Amino acid sequence: MEIRIRNVSKHYHSSGQVIKALDNIDLTIPANRIFTLLGPSGCGKTTLLRCIVGLESPDSGEIEIGGETVWSRERHIYVPTEHRGLGMVFQTYAIWPHMDVFNNVAYPLQTRGLPREEIRERVAKTLRFVQLEGFEDRPATKLSGGQQQRVALARALVAEPKVILFDEPLSNLDAKLREETRKELRAFLTDLEITAVYVTHDRIEALALSDMVAVMNRGHIIETGTPRQIYFHSTHRFVVDFIGRTNLIDAVVTSPRGGLTVVDCALGEVACRRHEAFDTGDRVTLCLRPEFIRLKRGDAARAQNVFSGRIDELVFIGEAYEGEITVNGLQLFIKTEPDSDIRAGDTASFTVDPNNCILVSK
Amino acid sequence: MGNRKSLLTPVLIVIVGFLTVCPVIMLVFGSFSTGLGTFGQFTLEKYIQAYTDPELAGIITNTIVFVLGSSAVATGLALLLVYLNTRTDIPFKFLFRIISIIPMMIPHILFSVSWVLLLNPSNGLINLFLRQVLGLENAAVNIYSLWGMILVEGLLDLPIAYLILAPAMASFDVALEESSRVCGGSTLRTLFRVTLPVLRPAILAAFILSLVRSLASFAVPSVIGMPGRIYVLATHIYQSIATGFAADYGKAAAIGMSVLVTSITLIYLYRYLTSESEKYVTISSRGYRPTVIRLKRARYPLFGVVGILSLVLIVLPVLVLFYTSLVPYSMVPSMKAFSMMSWKHWIEVIHDPISILSLKNSVFLGVVGATLGITLSVFVAYAIVKVRSHASGILESLSFLSFSFPGIVIGVGFMWFFVRTPLYATIWALLIGYIATYLPYGVRPLTSAFIQVHSHLEESSQVCGAGAFTTMRRIVIPLLIPGIVSGWILMATMFVRELTLSVVLSRPGTEVLAVQIFRFAEDGLWGQLSALGIMMIFISTTLVILATLVGIRFKPMEESG
Repeated sequence: MEIRIRNVSKHYHSSGQVIKALDNIDLTIPANRIFTLLGPSGCGKTTLLRCIVGLESPDSGEIEIGGETVWSRERHIYVPTEHRGLGMVFQTYAIWPHMDVFNNVAYPLQTRGLPREEIRERVAKTLRFVQLEGFEDRPATKLSGGQQQRVALARALVAEPKVILFDEPLSNLDAKLREETRKELRAFLTDLEITAVYVTHDRIEALALSDMVAVMNRGHIIETGTPRQIYFHSTHRFVVDFIGRTNLIDAVVTSPRGGLTVVDCALGEVACRRHEAFDTGDRVTLCLRPEFIRLKRGDAARAQNVFSGRIDELVFIGEAYEGEITVNGLQLFIKTEPDSDIRAGDTASFTVDPNNCILVSK
Repeated sequence: MGNRKSLLTPVLIVIVGFLTVCPVIMLVFGSFSTGLGTFGQFTLEKYIQAYTDPELAGIITNTIVFVLGSSAVATGLALLLVYLNTRTDIPFKFLFRIISIIPMMIPHILFSVSWVLLLNPSNGLINLFLRQVLGLENAAVNIYSLWGMILVEGLLDLPIAYLILAPAMASFDVALEESSRVCGGSTLRTLFRVTLPVLRPAILAAFILSLVRSLASFAVPSVIGMPGRIYVLATHIYQSIATGFAADYGKAAAIGMSVLVTSITLIYLYRYLTSESEKYVTISSRGYRPTVIRLKRARYPLFGVVGILSLVLIVLPVLVLFYTSLVPYSMVPSMKAFSMMSWKHWIEVIHDPISILSLKNSVFLGVVGATLGITLSVFVAYAIVKVRSHASGILESLSFLSFSFPGIVIGVGFMWFFVRTPLYATIWALLIGYIATYLPYGVRPLTSAFIQVHSHLEESSQVCGAGAFTTMRRIVIPLLIPGIVSGWILMATMFVRELTLSVVLSRPGTEVLAVQIFRFAEDGLWGQLSALGIMMIFISTTLVILATLVGIRFKPMEESG
C-alpha cells in the first residue's frame, strides 16, 4: 500500500519556544518497498512515523494509507490507531512482560476476534517465519535481545498488515547482533509483499536495508532517493555530510572542460563530473569522500586530479589506515588499505576520479 | 479523553489537599484557640501556657537525646548490616532480608512491651533471672530509662534505615573503590576515605528519616518512657489531652506545631538529600559483580553479631509475648512456670467485649481502609506519572506531605476538625485519618508500578488493534497488579497496628487493637496484652505472607530480560 503525506506539520511548545517537529512535509512512500526515514536525533523522523500510525496527530495536513484518508484536519477525519490495521516494531520492542511469547504474538489476532484454532495456526506460522518455532510457552522477557526483537516482528506481522513500521528497532542490540538482525530483517521483508517504513539515525543501516531513503533534518525532508542516489548523487551539503565522512572544500566553478565541471579550490584545479546546476563563477562546496582518495607513495607528475602532499598522521584501525594529508595547507581526511606501505611523515600523492567529485551548493 | 484527564488532576488535588492540608490548618487554628469549643477566636494564651511550662525544657532535652540517639543506633546498625550483606562473604545472607522486613509484622507497641517484659526493674524476666543467678539485690538493668528508650527505638527504626541504605550500597560503582586500591589504599582506608564519603547522602537520608520516625514515635515513649517518668514531646502532647481533669487540645496543638514544623523541615531535607544521592551514586551500566571482601577469621564472629541481632529482633519478642500469655504472672521460665501454664488470658481476651470490638474494628480498618487508600493511590500515581503537568507536581508534593506527619500531632489536628462534624467518634474518622497519614505508602509503590508500564507497551497494543478499554484490561491493569497488591498489603498491615493517630481519635466504641494493647499496658495486664498481641501479630503476619506469595506469583513474568 502506498502512503501519501500531504502538507503535514506538527509543532511542539516547550518553555516558550515553538519546535517544528514536522514542517510542511510532503512525501509519497511507494508500495511494497522498504522505505527509510534517516536523520539525526530530533529531526522529526519518529514524529512522522507516529503520525502515520496514529499515535500522534499532526497540526495540519492529510495522511492517506492505501487510498484511504486516515487523518485530515480540514475534513475532520481521524482513524484511530487501532483501526488503521498496521504493524509496528518499537524501539523498546514493547514486549508485554506479563504474557508468554504465544500471547504476545496472538494479541493482534485476539483483538480482531478470530477463532481460537485459526489464531494458533497463524501464530505458529509466523513464529516459524521469524525462526522462533517452539518458543510459544516461554515468558517473552526471558528471551535474548535478538529473540525479543523477532517476537516484536512476529507480532507486527501476524495479522498480515499491508504496512509495517519500524522505530529504530536495532538500536538496543550490540554491534554484531545488529548486523545479523539487519540482514535477517532484509530477508524477511523482501519475502513479503509489504510496505515497510523504517526509522533510523544509522546511515549504514539505512543504506544496507532500504530500497528508498528519505533524509530528514529539522522537520524537513531534505532529499529522497535510492541508497546509491543518496550516496553518489546528492545535491545537498547536509545529506553528503550525514551519509558518510566527507572532506568539504570551498570552491569556485571555472570554465567547463571536456564535458566536466571544473572548480578551483585550495587543492588547485579539480575536475568534477558534469553538474548542470552550476555555472562559471558560482561558489560551491566540493565533497571528497576519503574512500575515493586513492593514495600512492611519493611524488607524482602533474596531471588532472593528481595532488601531492605530506601525510600528517596515519593510524592503523585494523580494516584500514585512517589519517590526514596536507595539500597546499589544506588538511584532508584520508583512508587507505591495511597493507599500505605509506606511513606518517611520508610524501604522498593521490588521485580522485572526477565521477566521485561531488559539488553541492554552498 | 483529553477533557477527562485534565479534570482528574484538579479533583485529586482537592481530595488529597483536603486529607493532608486540612488537619494542618485545623491544628494551626486550634493552637490559637482556648479549647475545642471556642474555635476561631484568636488567642496566644495556649502558646504562652505551653511554652512557659517549666517542665518543657527538660522534655525537649529528653526528646533531642532520644531522637538523636535512636537514629544513630538505627543508622549505625543498618550501615553495618548493609555493608556485611552486600560487600562481604558473611554466611547466611538470607537472614538480612528477614531482619529488614520483620518489624512490619511485629507492631511497635508489642515490640516495646516485650522489652518491658524482659527488662523492667521489678519483674522483667532477664532481671529476675540475673537476680536469681547472681544474687543481686536490685535489678541489673532498668529499661525505664532514656537509654532503654534509645535502644528499643533504634532497633525499631533499623529496617527503615536498612531499606534506604541497601539500594545505595548495591548500586555503588565498585570502580571507585578499586581505583583507591590501585592507588595503594588498604581495605579500611578505602572504606573510610572512599566508600563511606560517597555514600554520605544516603547515610544522611537514612539518619534523617530515622529522626522523623523517632520524633513521631509514640509506642516506645509511652510504654517505656512514661512508667519511668521520662517524657518526650509525643508523650507530653498525649498527656495534655488524655490525663488530668480536662483534655487541653489547645495546648496540645500549640506544642504539636513545633513538632510538625520540625518534622516537615526534616522531610524536605530528606527529599533534597535523596535527589542528591541519586546524582552521587552512579549505577554503572556494565554488568558487574561487586568485589566481595573476605572477612577471613572475622567471618563467624561478625555473623554471631548478626545472629544475635536477628534473635533479638524476631524470636525474642514473639517468644516473650507467647510465654507471658500463658503464665499467670511474671516468672522466670522453670518447671514450676511450665506446670502453671494455661489459656486463662486467652479465654479472658476472647470474652472481653472491648478486645473483640477492637479486633473487629482493626480488621475492618485494615481491609476497607487499605482498599480505599489504594484506590485513591492508583489515581494519584496515574496523575503523577502519566498525566504530567504543573498540577501533577503540586499533587506529588501534597501526597508526599503526610510522610512527615507525626501521628499524634496530626491526630490532634484532625480532632479539631472531626469534633465539628458528625464523623466525630465514628470509625470513619479513624479511616479518614489513616488514609491521610499513610497515603505516601500507597502512592509510592504505585508510582513505581506506573513508571514500569512504558508508554510503548500501551501504544503497541493500540497498533495491534486494541481499543482503550482492551488495552486497559489486558495490558495496563495486569502490569499494575503487583504494585497494587503490595501497596494494599503495606497499607493494611500499617492500619491493623496503627497506634499514634488512634490514641487521639479512638473513642469508646471505636477502640482499635493497638490502643487496646496500650490500655492493657497502662493497667499492667500483661497476660491479656500478650494474648491479644499474639493475635495481632498473627493477623499482620498473614497479610505479609500473602504479599510475599502474590509477589512470587507475579515475579517470573515481571523481570525484564
